Amino acid sequence: MADAGGIGRTPLLEVRGLKMHFPITSGLLRRQIGAVKAVDDVSFDVFPRETLGMVGESGCGKSTCGRAVLRLYDITAGTIRLDGVEIGQIPQPRLRKLRPKMQMVFQDPQASLNPRMTVAGIIGEPLDEHAGWGRRQKLDRIYELMDAVGLNRNFVNRYPHEFSGGQRQRIGIARALALNPAFIVCDEPIAALDVSIQAQVVNLLEELQQRFGLTYLFISHDLSMVRHIATRVAVMYLGKIVEIAPRERLYADPKHPYTQALLSAVPEPDPAAERRVERIILKGDVPSPANPPKGCNFCTRCPQVMEICREIDPPTQEVAPGQFVACHLYGEPRRTTAEATAA
Amino acid sequence: MTRKATLMGAAAMLALMPAAALADPAPAEGERERGSSGHLNIIYWQAVSTMNSYLSGGTKEMNAASIVWEPLARFDNEGELVAWLAEEIPTLENGGVSEDLTTITWRLQEGLLWSDGTPVTADDVVFTYEYCTHPEGGCSYRDRYAGIESVEAVDERTILVTFEDATPNPYIPFVGAGSPIIQKAQFEECMGARAPECTDQNFAPIGTGPYVVTDFRPNDVIQFEANPNYRVPNQPYFQTITWAGGGDATGAARAVFQTGEMDYAWNLQLAPEVIEQMEAGGQGELLVDFGPLMERIEINFTDPSPDLPDDERGTRLHPHPILTDIRVREALSRALDRELLTEIGFGPMGQPTCNFIVAPPAMASPNNDDCLVQDIDRANELLDEAGWERGPDGIRTKDGMRLELLFQTSTNAVRQDFQALIQQWWREIGVDTRLRNIDAGVFFGSDPASPDTYLKFWADVQMYASLFEGTDPTPHLEQRRCGREPRPETQWQGQNINRYCNEEYDALWAELNREPDPDRRQELVIALNDMFVQDFAHLPLVARGRVSAKSNTLGGNIMNVWDSEHWNQAEWYRIED
Amino acid sequence: MLNYTIRRLAMAVPTVLIISLLIFLLLDLAPGDPTAQLPLTIPPEVREDIRMALGLGDPVLIRYVKWLQLMVINEPLHALANLTGWNVAPDTQRILSWQTRSPVGDIIAQRIPQTLWVVGLGYLFGVLIALPIGIISAYKQYSWFDQIGTFISMVGFSVPVFFTGVVMILVFSVWLGWFPSMYDTTLRVTNWETFVRQVRQMVMPVAVLALFNAAQISRFMRASMLDNLNQDYVRTARAKGMKEQVVVLVHVLRNSMIPVVTVIALGIPAVFSGAIITETIFRVNGLGALLINAIYANDIPMVQTLTFIFAVLIVLFNLIADVLYGILDPRIRYD
Repeated sequence: MADAGGIGRTPLLEVRGLKMHFPITSGLLRRQIGAVKAVDDVSFDVFPRETLGMVGESGCGKSTCGRAVLRLYDITAGTIRLDGVEIGQIPQPRLRKLRPKMQMVFQDPQASLNPRMTVAGIIGEPLDEHAGWGRRQKLDRIYELMDAVGLNRNFVNRYPHEFSGGQRQRIGIARALALNPAFIVCDEPIAALDVSIQAQVVNLLEELQQRFGLTYLFISHDLSMVRHIATRVAVMYLGKIVEIAPRERLYADPKHPYTQALLSAVPEPDPAAERRVERIILKGDVPSPANPPKGCNFCTRCPQVMEICREIDPPTQEVAPGQFVACHLYGEPRRTTAEATAA
Repeated sequence: MTRKATLMGAAAMLALMPAAALADPAPAEGERERGSSGHLNIIYWQAVSTMNSYLSGGTKEMNAASIVWEPLARFDNEGELVAWLAEEIPTLENGGVSEDLTTITWRLQEGLLWSDGTPVTADDVVFTYEYCTHPEGGCSYRDRYAGIESVEAVDERTILVTFEDATPNPYIPFVGAGSPIIQKAQFEECMGARAPECTDQNFAPIGTGPYVVTDFRPNDVIQFEANPNYRVPNQPYFQTITWAGGGDATGAARAVFQTGEMDYAWNLQLAPEVIEQMEAGGQGELLVDFGPLMERIEINFTDPSPDLPDDERGTRLHPHPILTDIRVREALSRALDRELLTEIGFGPMGQPTCNFIVAPPAMASPNNDDCLVQDIDRANELLDEAGWERGPDGIRTKDGMRLELLFQTSTNAVRQDFQALIQQWWREIGVDTRLRNIDAGVFFGSDPASPDTYLKFWADVQMYASLFEGTDPTPHLEQRRCGREPRPETQWQGQNINRYCNEEYDALWAELNREPDPDRRQELVIALNDMFVQDFAHLPLVARGRVSAKSNTLGGNIMNVWDSEHWNQAEWYRIED
Repeated sequence: MLNYTIRRLAMAVPTVLIISLLIFLLLDLAPGDPTAQLPLTIPPEVREDIRMALGLGDPVLIRYVKWLQLMVINEPLHALANLTGWNVAPDTQRILSWQTRSPVGDIIAQRIPQTLWVVGLGYLFGVLIALPIGIISAYKQYSWFDQIGTFISMVGFSVPVFFTGVVMILVFSVWLGWFPSMYDTTLRVTNWETFVRQVRQMVMPVAVLALFNAAQISRFMRASMLDNLNQDYVRTARAKGMKEQVVVLVHVLRNSMIPVVTVIALGIPAVFSGAIITETIFRVNGLGALLINAIYANDIPMVQTLTFIFAVLIVLFNLIADVLYGILDPRIRYD
């Protein structure tokens, strides 16, 4: 899948045909009887210094996708190229050497910090592992990072539970930055925070992006926050990307019926505009990823469902420059995913 | 004086006794040296708590103490008296017992030494009496010294015991493993209330016996070494003994029969099939001997109904509404299969019996063996005759009263098996039996406030085993005399457990108590026994043996049910192959 | 933390006193008679005298106060005197066992070595086996190792000691003759030969106890590891690029040990109370055998003293477990 804004640029991250299936086992011998297709054939690019927003309902596979991209799972299929290096299938010990380049900020700052380590330990540990610095140098770096994320240096020997949620997330971000990564997956970094704190953290992420030239994959279910931070947005439904487009395009002219439904649910700040919005209410529940429907994954809930949707999984096609949609509504494909991959 | 005659009888019996009852031909006796057999391992799965048997009263403590402390005379394996520390048994003939039967004069052997090398004197014997009769001492064998007016040391070796009354059997104080002689010098400071505080003395008493204690750990293990001052120069044959305690009966049996770790194991009351399986191990053999211990069902002649006030319940004020009819009692007896009970509960360690007095063999009646065969039909006939008619549920009733009995015993696997079988047999003759079992600690306790003791007998029938000491059943027969029953006035103490009362029986017992002729005495004992059991006053079930086990390499030990099993410990030796 | 510990210790005193009074009253109310074990040939009047000589004539509260005074003043002084050789022991009465008529303190001191050797080592080995099994089982959940570990724990947990113990005796003592079936408490380790004998006689009881303890603790360890393995901070550690063994042994294990350490600490008083069944089967006359024997014989001073010591140990190790929790887990602070 190419990108209008990316023409002529080399993507930092190229994901092709990524599949992450979790086996379902049963019985005494734990035979596999099926699989949860959390991420099923996903392809996208992320370009240097941009922020790709990834949205979708909870359970759609966006967090799994983020973790799979960083190889926190052993993926089922697909390729992941980070800065030209194929990391999709290389074994974990070799991958470890590449970890400094790619980092992650987790959703729950409380759970993602080891409760028995101090701030210094948490931020400094990757330095021990990958940099091999002396005490002094390490401490300087820890202070530097604490300054960068706006933490008081005096708190360096405190434990995570002594901080507020926002502060903990700053520790999490400082930890992610410790090794000067190029690419950071932000997995719902603000979902567990108070609304008043959310903006602070998002602003901090933006500021750091400017300062250190970072590239983000920003996973969120909060469409307004994604609109604020992302340069491009990918919409996921049931393990697949249904639409991917530059931010303005997507919000102005969503093509996929699911994207339309999702955006119609976003509250408008302007009450007048709010009244004009016609909400699209989706019926039914999201099908189980262990047993997705035949044809288009969205066919069970799509307001504009057609016969073909129940039979054939729609290919992804570019409907406008940089805007790719996987939907049968949009006529003959100009380019299939396969072709895009080949290109 | 009637008692004098009794004593003469006893004396006559003694005279008949072979002088060398001890002379079990220990092979190659001359060659064996003191300590030549090395080390002996004994296991008592119920461990010994103290070496001072006067403060314990338990058989295990008495047995352990018996290889250190010795009496003036004791019973051999035939149940006959032999002089031990005394020169000879005092009798009327040799003038040791006075004509009026109020004194007995013992003479110690010459040159007896304590294990510490000091001489044994008459003062030690006098002291033993004082020690055990001290009112605050809590001596378990005080009854051995009952009825004594004084014990005096006439000279270094002569002791004169004066009884308050003419005493037909003076061979109780200082006789048998239960009343050994203790050293005055050691226990002088341990009289009365101070007795329990003398831990060092109680754990390592100085004695005249073949062994001395080198290490005592309460309820765990005792180490013995041969007594250097033992009076027989070449004995004991074993130099050292480890007397281990603890574990369980199965483990003790296994250690003798299967692994050979132990040479001698005491009191293996195990299920017959377990014993059989263990014996297959082939390293040891089972020792069984039968004494007066007998398992029986006591029948309550008084009404234990809970509707009665506590101080009248189970007393002679209220005769039992059902069991005072001899036909009912006989029916209960006829319904029992004693052979089966014995086989199931005790195997080779028991013998079915119909007698109250089961030993010594000469005293056991041959007249009651018909009860050994179960006869349900006869039992049913008897109940029909007695007017008990079967109701629709198969249980008999009479005058609106159901034939229902409460059957209690102590908690014990064999007794519960017996209860279940008996309940079934009695059900066949239309008797409804309710079963109850009580923790042995409570059932055999003497707390007068407890409603559950065997003495109170607040049930219709109860089962337990009892025995008597020594070889003379006269005191045991006396227990069933009128007036000897436990009742509120006696703080519920007394041994006429079933509250039996029969003038004829009392008269016959009085005759026994003054009869001099041994043959006639034997007849009288049998007559009393027959009167009691043919009245179905209690139902004898099984004569129970003492069961121990010894390794195939252990020789010289002779099982003895009338005294300590270790009565001839000095003569035990290792069989060399 | 110090304040907390001191406050807890102060609170423990009345707790233990109340426990001791309750135990005393319960034992007093329980039916049973110390003379019940004696042969039936001993007449009831003599039994009554024995009961009086044991001090059963006094009212229960007076007996309690007497006992308490001996327990908290005389006995500790005697224990101190025995340990240090100082002459501080008062020359007065001590708590006497009814069975042996000797001071209970001495008997308990006599029993502690074999209890600590056998039951203590059984516990120690149990823990040492359990931790790696629990860790590997959790890390490789559902692997064959985990399945076998689960099976063995299930066996250790559900098959009673009196079965495993007897099976071991039959196999190793009766058939193979490798180990003695009876423990010799008189054995003194003085040289290599006696050391080997000591090891041989300890193998079976220790193995039986270790299996039982390991079964329990390995389950705890596994559950605790599984709890932590799925935590976000583990993912963080992996995302940091930490080595797998650092992730498991530093991050996961250190957090998983918090509840396990407290469980282990709470199990220690049970070591002192001995293992009644194991001790009986292998004839290791330790504290467990002492207690059960005293209960059977209605030896109330012995039962009372032992249960009191156990109560103190339990209260103490509860406190130790709480303090350990505070030390290990920075999220917990006692003020």
